[in-house]
Amino acid sequence: MQRDKFFKEIENVYHPNEKLIKTHCSYCGMQCGMNLRVNTSTNKIIGVEPRYDWPVTVGKMCPKGVTAYQQTNHDDRLLKPLIRDDASLKGTTKGFREASWDEAYDLIAKKFTELQENYGKDSLSVFSGVSMTNEKCYLTGKFARVALGTKYIDYNGRFCMSSAAGGFLRSLGVDRGSTLPWTDIHETDCLFIAGSNTAECHPTSIFRLWNVQERGGYIIVVDPRETPIARRADVHLDIRPGTDLALANGILHLLIENGFTDEQFVNNHTNGFEETRELVKEFTPEYTSEITGVDPEKIIRAAEIYGKAPNAVVMFARGIEQQHKGVDNVSAYTNMALVTGKIGRPKSGVATFTGQGNGQGGREHGQKSDLLPGYRKITNPEHVREVCQFWGISEDEMPKAGVSAYELFELMAKKEIRGLYLLCSNPAVSAPNLNFVRETLKNLDFMVCADFYLSESAEFADVILPSVTWSEDEGTTTNLEGRIIKINKAQEPVGESKPDWQMQVELAERLGRGKYFSHLKTARDVADEFRAASKGGYADYYGATWEKIEKQDGVFWPCKDENDEGTPHMFLDKKFYHPDGKAKICALPYRKSAEEPDETYPLRMTNGRVVYHYLSGNQTRRIPFLRDMCPEPFIEVHPQTAEKYKISHEEEVRLYTRRGEAFYKVKITEAIRPDTVFVPYHFGHEKSINLLTIAALDPMSRMPEFKVCAAQIEKLDREKV
Amino acid sequence: MKKRLYIELENCIGCRSCLAACTQCGGHEERNRNYVYDVNPLVSRQTMPLMCLHCVNPACARSCPAQAIQIHETGAVLSALVEKCIGCQNCTIACPYGIPKFDEEQNLMYKCDLCIDRTKDGIPPMCASVCPSNTLQWLTEEEIEQKQKQYNMSNGKWVTSQPYLEGETNVKVNLPGILQGITKLY
Repeated sequence: MQRDKFFKEIENVYHPNEKLIKTHCSYCGMQCGMNLRVNTSTNKIIGVEPRYDWPVTVGKMCPKGVTAYQQTNHDDRLLKPLIRDDASLKGTTKGFREASWDEAYDLIAKKFTELQENYGKDSLSVFSGVSMTNEKCYLTGKFARVALGTKYIDYNGRFCMSSAAGGFLRSLGVDRGSTLPWTDIHETDCLFIAGSNTAECHPTSIFRLWNVQERGGYIIVVDPRETPIARRADVHLDIRPGTDLALANGILHLLIENGFTDEQFVNNHTNGFEETRELVKEFTPEYTSEITGVDPEKIIRAAEIYGKAPNAVVMFARGIEQQHKGVDNVSAYTNMALVTGKIGRPKSGVATFTGQGNGQGGREHGQKSDLLPGYRKITNPEHVREVCQFWGISEDEMPKAGVSAYELFELMAKKEIRGLYLLCSNPAVSAPNLNFVRETLKNLDFMVCADFYLSESAEFADVILPSVTWSEDEGTTTNLEGRIIKINKAQEPVGESKPDWQMQVELAERLGRGKYFSHLKTARDVADEFRAASKGGYADYYGATWEKIEKQDGVFWPCKDENDEGTPHMFLDKKFYHPDGKAKICALPYRKSAEEPDETYPLRMTNGRVVYHYLSGNQTRRIPFLRDMCPEPFIEVHPQTAEKYKISHEEEVRLYTRRGEAFYKVKITEAIRPDTVFVPYHFGHEKSINLLTIAALDPMSRMPEFKVCAAQIEKLDREKV
Repeated sequence: MKKRLYIELENCIGCRSCLAACTQCGGHEERNRNYVYDVNPLVSRQTMPLMCLHCVNPACARSCPAQAIQIHETGAVLSALVEKCIGCQNCTIACPYGIPKFDEEQNLMYKCDLCIDRTKDGIPPMCASVCPSNTLQWLTEEEIEQKQKQYNMSNGKWVTSQPYLEGETNVKVNLPGILQGITKLY
């Protein structure tokens, strides 16, 4: 299926006493195919071999992928449950003692029960993540609602994909991250890429990007930095961070003015055109340039290239989404495709680069505060009825909608939430406004953390449960295309570690809720229940059996039954998922960033990834090759700005905002706007850039505005240091 | 069918996946044997890999007083034979690109052998297998010929490999600038 010109028949190399296990990478939404090399005498993972026959990535891997296997048998793995009796040591690695699973479970059950008896069901919370299988994500939602009976569950997708989800739902009526398969990307004529450092964050997309240019097509990049893709782009729109909405409106205005509207498409398949046309009139190239800092000529050129393209794909990522107007940014860039009718056909469409491995699937099946399996809404009584019936609980047992990830911390600070079950996430690094978040974690009455390493967040826990890496369990994930794929087990769990689903089943039993969980004995059992639970929702996975995934090289949802081969291209029938079948072109007035620069904080601070690290760095900072390549964060500064502050390359400076400060070495580069500074976010403790970021939330997605706030640099007095 | 390593320098994104993969072929003692350079880091993010080009008449082998550097029948210039290498580092000095690395502890040179256990059977080396940007490719002679035609500029300013490199090499290189000659679709 979808084998293209990059696909070559290549045999794998088998070394003596080794077998290869086909699987995918543990990290980003690309979910690159890989083979894990397993020693057949020790049954341990010892290396990696390319998976040439995976149609999306044809053997390619980034340095994280190549070294991903080193996580499994790493010296830092947690091998036994850990308990800390002295709560005064919270926030440090000290005071933990090894315990049996029984003792750990007993303690958790006792503490959780006490808290709920004293302070109500909702005094407990679950904070989860999406770097794990669909099956685990599904069960975590059920665990919170059925085993714990709390409404307070949310997940780290709020820091990642929630704005893309909100924007797609509003514009298209459905949230599938890409409307087309990745095997179309290199065949399009124009890629318009906003807020994605693709070369570092999704490197295995690059050969397809470059091929667009090799064929004579165009790449337009919107980014405050001259990233590797911006360097090679036909047009680089070097935007001021936080002004995407103005740029998207400005380009839409030019598309409409210059006759690139597909009137038939707009009339038959969309709503909202007239209103939007009126609104964007104001966004002339000059006015847009004033707000965005991009030369008007470049804006005109970009609109012309996108408008003239026979086929084009609009792509974006966290750069535009992690703003307090992230949802508006997504809808505004999606407008470009809707007005020109470049969607709902092969080689044209809209796509977001999903950040986490299962960022797509993990947000669909009930870990989000207001969602239930199959993308059902907990605020929709019909949906609640369906799920209650499936789970065998009464409707009044189903908790109501809770609050978003960051708001959980606010409720912890108010003591409305007193207990936390944290898994698959490291918010002590990844949440914004960390001084506040770390303080709330410290003051919790009781905290459990399931992880396979002792993360910065685990340092706040009373009990740590050792979970497994992706290679020691099986299940499915959904990659950035919307393709459901199979993660295979390559070795037995190290030490006494267990998969998260198993911990949740066993804990549910301790909490007297075994009858809803005890039938789940294997990952396959969870998978079968999960598929059935999604049936009838619009993210319908029912027909995506493990066998079909193997046979077809993945299955694109929706996939409703055994005869359904899935849906690689969305909207080929031009039917969008709103009740009237039409997409919505959105009229979106420009809003400024929550915190604009001023005299005291004159710089715009943004952040992002480097190619060597993944998210909070809890995994990648432990891998020798990746750590050696990027051992510590830095601050990127334009030479003009460096001159102004009299700071030089490699000099340590203090960077501070209204919320916090950190010390970084300066990296001088012309490849950034002079009014902007950049720091990578993968680092913990006093090096976390999130000590400085602002928790201004998007009104719809509740996404914090990670990507822009006002900051200042202080040159350090060397005499005093 | 004979295949060669082909390098398109313009494509490099500096991810250094080739370095990570170099340790993974099973025969490299998990030490990488190639380089990736930041071309001018204070100015731009341009990077380029520096790989052994497997010269047809390799200076490293010629300079070796102990005949420790063998040339495989595929043309791959192999790493020093452990039993012959005397650790004099002549090869590193002789190589126009500084490719051979030196292990101080073992007093031994080591270099890219083009993953000979893979490439002798036509399987791409690890670096070209994983390269996400197609900077490193494993191509047939015909595919390389086509590349050469495609990217030869009429003004003769820019060609593949020769005559800009030191001598004839088994690995073919496209210098930066491949997008200059491309006709746009519209």
